[in-house]
This record gives sequence, structure tokens and C-alpha cells, in this order.
Amino acid sequence: MTLFQVARKNMAGNAKSYLLYFTSMLISVVIYYTFVSLQYSDDIQKGMESSQNLQTVFLAASVVLVLFSAVFIWYSNSFFLKRRKREVGLYSLLGMRKKTIGRLLFYENMTIGAVVLAGGILLGMVLSKLFAMILVRLLGIETAIGFGLSGPAIINTLIVFAVILLATSVHGYRLIYQFQLIELFQAEKAGEPATRPRIWQALAAIALLAFGYALALQPIDTTEQFARNMGLALAGIIVGTYLLFRSTIAAALVLYRKNKKRYYRGMNLIGASNLSFRNRGNVRTFTLIALLSGLALGAFGLTYTQYYYTERSAETNTPFSYEFVSRGEPFDSQARQLIEADREHPVLAQLTVPVVEWKSERTNALELPIQYFSYAKPGTSISFLSASSYNRMSQALGREETVQLNGDEAASVRPMLDNQTADQYDGLSLKVQLEGGERTLPFVDFLKGRVLSWHFPDFYIVVSDSLFGEMTKALAPTTYELFRVENPESAKATSEKLLGMAADENRFHAFYTEYRNSLEESGLFLFIVGFLGLVFLAATGSVIYFKQLTEAQADRGRYETLRKIGVSRQEIRSSIAGQTLLAFALPLALGVAHGYVMIRIFTASLVGMNVTPPILISMGAYLVVYFVYYLISVRSNNRIVNPA
Amino acid sequence: MRTVVEARQIRKVYGAKGNVFTAIRELDLTVREGEFVGIMGPSGSGKSTLLNLLATIDQPTSGEIEIDGASIMKMSEDRMSAFRREKLGFIFQDFNLLDTLTVKENILLPLALAKTDVKELERSVEEIADKFGIRTILDKYPYQISGGQKQRTAASRAIVTKPTLVLADEPTGSLDSKSATDLLESLRSLNERDRATILMVTHDPFAASYCSRVLFIKDGGMFTELAKSEGPRQPFFKKIMDVLSVLGGSAPDAV
Repeated sequence: MTLFQVARKNMAGNAKSYLLYFTSMLISVVIYYTFVSLQYSDDIQKGMESSQNLQTVFLAASVVLVLFSAVFIWYSNSFFLKRRKREVGLYSLLGMRKKTIGRLLFYENMTIGAVVLAGGILLGMVLSKLFAMILVRLLGIETAIGFGLSGPAIINTLIVFAVILLATSVHGYRLIYQFQLIELFQAEKAGEPATRPRIWQALAAIALLAFGYALALQPIDTTEQFARNMGLALAGIIVGTYLLFRSTIAAALVLYRKNKKRYYRGMNLIGASNLSFRNRGNVRTFTLIALLSGLALGAFGLTYTQYYYTERSAETNTPFSYEFVSRGEPFDSQARQLIEADREHPVLAQLTVPVVEWKSERTNALELPIQYFSYAKPGTSISFLSASSYNRMSQALGREETVQLNGDEAASVRPMLDNQTADQYDGLSLKVQLEGGERTLPFVDFLKGRVLSWHFPDFYIVVSDSLFGEMTKALAPTTYELFRVENPESAKATSEKLLGMAADENRFHAFYTEYRNSLEESGLFLFIVGFLGLVFLAATGSVIYFKQLTEAQADRGRYETLRKIGVSRQEIRSSIAGQTLLAFALPLALGVAHGYVMIRIFTASLVGMNVTPPILISMGAYLVVYFVYYLISVRSNNRIVNPA
Repeated sequence: MRTVVEARQIRKVYGAKGNVFTAIRELDLTVREGEFVGIMGPSGSGKSTLLNLLATIDQPTSGEIEIDGASIMKMSEDRMSAFRREKLGFIFQDFNLLDTLTVKENILLPLALAKTDVKELERSVEEIADKFGIRTILDKYPYQISGGQKQRTAASRAIVTKPTLVLADEPTGSLDSKSATDLLESLRSLNERDRATILMVTHDPFAASYCSRVLFIKDGGMFTELAKSEGPRQPFFKKIMDVLSVLGGSAPDAV
């Protein structure tokens, strides 16, 4: 039998233990290929030329993915080799030379690698189509991103994985030289000395984390600054996370052991000593999981925040579903009929609102000490609404905000792109030149709800009905026709027809168009970040899964002994559930903090928006997925150490 | 004297249709309080199976086993665990100490599982540690101590709850002769001074000669029985050797 045949027979015979290794490699290849084929698609290439942001995201993403694949494959390869120690020992005992065994392992790994690479790329082609479909569905982008067979993507994938494979194969080959034959037959027995808690580590951990967070949250101007700050912050956070786990877990265990009443009670002893026995390895894995879940959480949060605010910002920009300036008959009634004919989007409210567009040079807007008013240059205009119109519009939009004004009182509406607050207007008043002389309009209210669509310079002032009447005498108002319909985000046909009718697009606004535009702008970004989130999620899950499997295998004997000295199945089950819970909860707690900071960094530009709801929702979703991982881990752990 | 173990007509069959192997066939066994009983027999005779049945780790195919008056046949899984914890103590050939726990923690584990009061627990551990001479190594981990010390730790763990019955499976199997003698002396003093009931499976006629009664098993059934008379151990050892030579199988070389 040739060596190659032995290797092949080996694989056929040990299908089960190979399956795990095989699957984890396959997942890496599929993910990597999908990502790279995305990267090489024409659409993205074009997008990268125009957007610096996208370029940074892609660069970071590909580095992270290569690292992820390398670490992941290395990890599963080591796990796989450890499992086969005995088999290798047997070959050696039967007189196979180390060199031959090394070559056997080498060939075997290369064979698996070749099969996985071919399969992974094939599967990747199918899956990338699937991803493209998800993208279209999720974002409604018409021009689907071209996936499919991509030459450069295949070459890129081949090169990256060939290098990783070669490295793991060489590692396997060398491993046999490091083993003593006797070791190959002994299970790991020697205990690790418990790590002693050190105060300086705890202090350093807190300092590093604080430094990392603070640096990451600094406002940033240039790309170089961004790269430098983020690099330093990341380093600080990684080391800080490691030291925090290292110092606090050890300290907590020492404290726990001090209370003998609790420690010497039931299975507490076992749980605590298991944690302490594994602490060194745990700290490494916890750090990895905290970082990975931080990244995943950050990516999901970011994606969801953007997605969530696409609709919100479209709503702020264009509050009504359709909005146009009246042009008299027959245009107005034609447009109305068109809107009413759309049965799928029934009209919820219809309003006709007069707006006085007052030249800003006939006010003192430029003199007001509010920075935003510097846009009120001569030639621009300030839009005046009557209080009753504002209230009617607010009501039609289903809002509760109303305004009450008497005499010459005025209220300003918060501009979309400025984070104004009510107190900025305290004691200020707007002076308006009317026919009877200059009138002083004190600001008495500040309205947060925008009612008309954005157009430069976005000044809306609400005045009392009587004052508005006086103004209409001086200047004929522009009449706005406003419609609110059900589900305006899907009213594609009607919006396009109306847009075709209105020759002047500046005076016609449809929510649908606004919504589509912002979706398409952020769609690609959303997709990539969401994709990365999925990768990190998968990585977290696999790391946990491998860890649980390895530990459960090693713990088998211990739990068998416990069963023999009279610990019930139920007690073992709850002890395992408790230990696993800690292993999940500790890294997750820190991961949530990391993810939160990451979302904060990238949403800093979303002025005046409350990012809490999308963050909470994405974290909630992540927690649910994480909880499922937990349940699976407890189950598989329990099945191994607590067999029926 | 009270009966601790009463096994009637127990039978254990392994395997399914066509390929069955009878490990124990219609075996009766009675152990009374304060006895130190040895079970001997060649490899494959069913010694370990018998011990596992008595230890409630395995269930007989048919027959009846009562320990301390309670039938272990009809017990639920949970009650069986509680029963093992309260009534039985185990000593294994490969010690089965938990390597994540210190010697002290290993010994007190059964007490902790039974949720014993901490003061009571500490006192019991110290008393036992003195008895087995392992007081100085209480804070060490199993990988830091010798085989003999490990087995004395395991024996301490087995008797710390003052069980009705101590079951020992080849306790001297992985010990050097000095450690083995020490352990056997400890077991004997436990039996004589503390009236502990001990059931020990062994290959080693020297170990068996410490017992008050030795049962010989062959092919799953009772072969013969030897009881020790008052006096020195040497003649009893000789008698055991004689039976073993008749019994055949894997009688060990003379010790």
C-alpha cells in the first residue's frame, strides 16, 4: 500500500472526526470566496473609486477575513491533530518512521485542502448568488451586484488558502517530531497552576480599555488619522480585554474560595475548580470571543442603525408621501386622480396649505446669533406657515406636536441638518418688514417636527393665523398640495408617473423617491457590514463549539468519577449549564461594550438622531442568537460528559 | 449481625440476540456488617461485573440485590445517585481522583455533595487525613503526589461519609508493594477499629490475605469460599494460593 492510499483509507475510515475539520474549512472558503467575488464585481469596483468610506471598509474587511480564515483553520487543525494523537502514536508504535508519518499527515491535509477548496469555491458560487438575492430583497436595489464566476476571485481565494494550507500541513508534519511516543498515549494529565490575580493587571486593563475607548471616540478628520487612532485603540482594547479577563476571573475565584460555606456545597466546588483549572486557556478564548462578538455586534448594530435611519431620514426629509406646488387646473386634479387611483396605497390624508415665501433680506435673519441663520443670505427665502396649517399638517402626519400662537408670536421649526435646541432661541425675535412698518416676532416655541420637504435654505417659521393673514396681503402665498398614503415606500408606479407629469422636479416631492435614493446610497455599505457581522457571528459560534467539544472530551473521565461517587445526572447537568453560562456571559458582557463603542464611532455623523432603538434591537437579536449557541453548547457538552 | 449486602440469583447477560455473553450466572452473595470480603477469580470471571452491579453502576439482567435492606432494583436514577452517595464508598484501581481539585477537596467532595455543615466537614477531613497519614499533602494537587498517596486519598474519600459498604476494585493494582501494604493495613484497621464493611475485588493473593473471607469466582459463578481463622496471615495466604492453582486461569506469580 502506498502512503497515499493509507492517507485515503484513513480519511474514509475516520469520516466522522474528519467531518468537523472539513466543515470548518469549507465554511472559511465559502465565506472568503463570496466576499472576494463581491469585491471583484464591477459595481463594487466602481463604488470604491468614488467612495473613500467603502474603500476603507473593504480593506479592513479583507484583512480581517484573511486573519479570520487563518486563525480558524489553524485552530480546527490543532484540534483535529490533538484528537488523533493516539492514532499517530499507534503508527509510530507499529514501526512507521516519523518522517513517513509526518509525510502521511502532510499529504492528508493537502488532500483535504484540495477537496475543500474545490468544493468551497463551487458552493461559494451558488451562495454568492443567494447573497445577491438577499441583497436585492433587503435593499430593493434594482441593479443586483454581479456575482457568479469571477476569475480574479478564484485566483485570490486559491492563493490565500494555499498559503494557509501549506502552513497547517507543515505544522502537522513538524508536530510528529515534537511528540514523545509516550506522550502520544497519555491524555493530558498535568494540571495548570492556577493564575494568581495581580492588581497591576486589573489596573492596566482598565486604563487600556479607557484609553482605547476614548481614542476611538475622538472626532476624526483625515483618513491617516483614522487609521492611526483606530489601530492604537484596537491594540489597547485587545490587550485590555485580555488583562481584564486574566485578572478579574482569577480574583473572583480566589474570593469565591474564601467563603467555605458556599464553596464546599454541592457542585460549587467542581464548577469553581474547573474554571480555575482552565483559566489560562479560558482567558485566551474569552478574549477572542469578546472581540469577535464585539465586532459582530458592532457590525450588526451599524447595519441596522443605517437601515433603520434610511426610512427615518427619508421621513424627516419628505414628511408627506406626495408634495407638490399647485399649478391650477387641470394639473392639480389630474395629479389628485392619479394618486387616488392607486388602490394599493389608499390616501390617508389630503391637505392644501398656503405658504408665504418671504425674501430673507426683508427680515433680520442674518443678524440673529444662531449659526444656521448665516445661510439666510439675500436672495434666499424664509417660509412662513400659519399655526393652524402647522397643526393640521402635524395631525395629518399622525403626530401630537401642536403650536398655539397669539399676536406677533413666532415658532421656529428645527432645520434638518442642524442640531438646534429650544434654548438657543431664548429671548430672540425675528424682525419682519411689513407694509405697516417693522414688526418684531418673538420666538416663543421651538417645533421639532418637520412638515414640508427639505429645500435650501430650510427655514420654516410658524406665525399666528392673524399675522399670516397680514403677510398674505403683502405677498401672495404659494399653495402646497399634500398627500399622505399608506405604505408610501412601495408606491413606485404612482411616484414615477407623477414625477413625469411635473416638469419641474424641485417643486415635486415623493417619499418613495427620497427613500429609494438614500437606500441605494447606503445599500452597498449595509450589505458589506452586514456580511462581516455574519462572518464574526459564525466565527464566535465555531470557536465556542470547538472549545466546548475539546473540553467536554477532556472532562469525560472526571464526570464519570463523579457519577460513580453518587452525583446525579441532574446535578451534573445543572453544573454544566452554570459553567457554560459563565463562559458565555463573561465575554458577551465585554463584547456588548465593545460593540456599543463601535456603533458610537460610526454613527457619530448621524446628527440629532436617537441611535438607541436600533442598537437595542440589534443587540436583542444578537442575544437571541447567542442564547441559541448557549443552548446547543450545553446540550452537546452534556451529551458527551453525561451519556445516558 | 446485620446483613449489609444480600444478592440472590443474580444474572448478567451482555449483548443481544445471537451473540450473548453471560458474565454472571445465578450468583448468591451475602455480606454481613463488619466483614472484610475479598473476591478473586481469573480475568473474565465476572469479578468486576459483580462489583459494578453491587455499586449500582450497572443493573443485573435478573435477580435481586438488597443493600442495607433496600432493594436497588426498583430505584429511580436520582434515588440511586443519592443512595451511592450516602451508603457506598468507592476505591478504584486508577484512583479516579479529580485532578482539578486538591487532595483536601477530593476528600471532602462527597461531604460537600451531601451539603454537610462546613465545621463538621473540616473536622471529618482532618480526622481521616490523620488516619491515612496524608495531612501534610492536603493542599497539593493529585499530579504532585505519588501513587500510594493518591490511593490513600481515594480511600479517604471513600470512607469520609462513613458509608455502610466500601467497595474497592483492585485498589492495590497500580501500587508498589510498600504502598500496597500501607493501604491494606489502613483498610484492615478501618475494618477492625471502625467496623467498616469492605468488599474488595483483587487479583493479588497478598491483598486478599488481609480479608476475613475470600470468595472465588469462575466463569460467572461461585467457585468456592475461604474464611480466615484466627491467627497469622501467612497460612491464609498459602490457602488462597492453593485455591488459585486449582482455579487456574491467570493466577499471578508468587508474591
